[in-house]
Amino acid sequence: MIRIENLRKRFGNNDVLKGVNLHVRPKEAVCILGPSGSGKSTLLHCVNRLSEPTEGRIFVDGEEITAKNADLPALRRKLGMVFQHFNLFSNKTVLENLTLAPVLSGIMSPENAEEKALTLLERVGLKEKAAAYPHSLSGGQKQRVAIARALCMSPKAMLFDEPTSALDPEMVKEVLNVIRELADNGMTMMIVTHEMNFAREVADRIVFMDGGNVIEDATPAEFFSAPKTQRAKEFLGKIL
Amino acid sequence: MQDRIIRCLFEPLGTGQPNGLSLLINGLGNTLLITFGAVLLGAFLGVGLAVMRSSEKRAWRIPAFLYIECVRGTPVLVQLFIINFVVFASVAVDKWTVAIIAFGINSAAYVSEIVRAGINAVAEGQMQAALSLGMTKAAAMRHIILPQAFKKILPALGNEFIVLIKETSVVGFIGGIDLMRAGDILRSKTYDAVVPLFTVAVIYLILTVALSQILQAVERKWSRR
Repeated sequence: MIRIENLRKRFGNNDVLKGVNLHVRPKEAVCILGPSGSGKSTLLHCVNRLSEPTEGRIFVDGEEITAKNADLPALRRKLGMVFQHFNLFSNKTVLENLTLAPVLSGIMSPENAEEKALTLLERVGLKEKAAAYPHSLSGGQKQRVAIARALCMSPKAMLFDEPTSALDPEMVKEVLNVIRELADNGMTMMIVTHEMNFAREVADRIVFMDGGNVIEDATPAEFFSAPKTQRAKEFLGKIL
Repeated sequence: MQDRIIRCLFEPLGTGQPNGLSLLINGLGNTLLITFGAVLLGAFLGVGLAVMRSSEKRAWRIPAFLYIECVRGTPVLVQLFIINFVVFASVAVDKWTVAIIAFGINSAAYVSEIVRAGINAVAEGQMQAALSLGMTKAAAMRHIILPQAFKKILPALGNEFIVLIKETSVVGFIGGIDLMRAGDILRSKTYDAVVPLFTVAVIYLILTVALSQILQAVERKWSRR
């Protein structure tokens, strides 16, 4: 579903990604772990080219998104993205946040988009907030709306960039529950997270990054009970 | 004093001629016409320039940069003269069109810098979110970034409007009879400088104060949302 080949990203003199290879298969939930500065978020931002890769190729659903003539809007529609800081459109209501992009891109009529949006809002437990503006929501509610917004485009895969890092502790669970439900329904996902228990429970695979490289790629059982590299052992030792 | 005011403003300036006040009101109408026209043109061009200036492409950015620097770096009176005596030298257009174009072009440079500051003040995540949903940059600008930027810059835009009201007072130099010029004509006809000039000043003051009050009210209403 998502294939990353020899991805490099340089900011000035700083090599953030040093040749990452990764293949996310359909219906797979891949959690990306690693210390801050290891390139996890940059990797995710390169997948839908919000960050421009310096080198390497990325394929989404068989099409190369890094190609010069790639239809970026069309390919990005296949990838829902959820951000650390929610990034809800603050000049739009919750409902409009969900319906704006599908209607503008012409993939849904306004009526269909609204119907779908309300179904999704109900699924994340926020139907009654449809007419509210984002500033009146709590962090957890904002993130659930953001997930519903991404789902409204009917994406083939979801990218989560530290979805719970900016939340108060008591709101983490409500967001994780929504993501867990997606995983149970077979959504293909790349999740950058610091929630180890969540990763262990939800992930089909754990990818551990350090210094711009993928240094471990294993099942959660393998990774958490018997990490192969010293670096991963140290990381887990500090966190668990 | 009362006699002077009555003579200057309310008595006919000669047989069959209007009184001073209607001369001023006529001028006021022209001042408002030029200002509104220039504000609209300036806002339209200014948003375009701001978007160009924020572009990643040099071919967009550099022309906008040059435009802004040239316009902001020369006096508006010079620009007005160039538009009137060079650009439209051999074309028959009325003074008002010339003035609206000149002041609109001038205002656009200032408006674009205000709008650009507003665009920069909208969090980067808003654009990222819009792009991630498959929106084009243009659509994201139009539906997400500019509406939020506009709200942030309303006070500065209002100020530009007020500045423009006052700046149009040089239009008399190309023969347009605005409020200022009407006051000056009245001065020469009545041999009285005090009443016409102070009346003109008070009218400008009423305009600018009223406008800033209206803008403050609008701002208060918007900030509640």
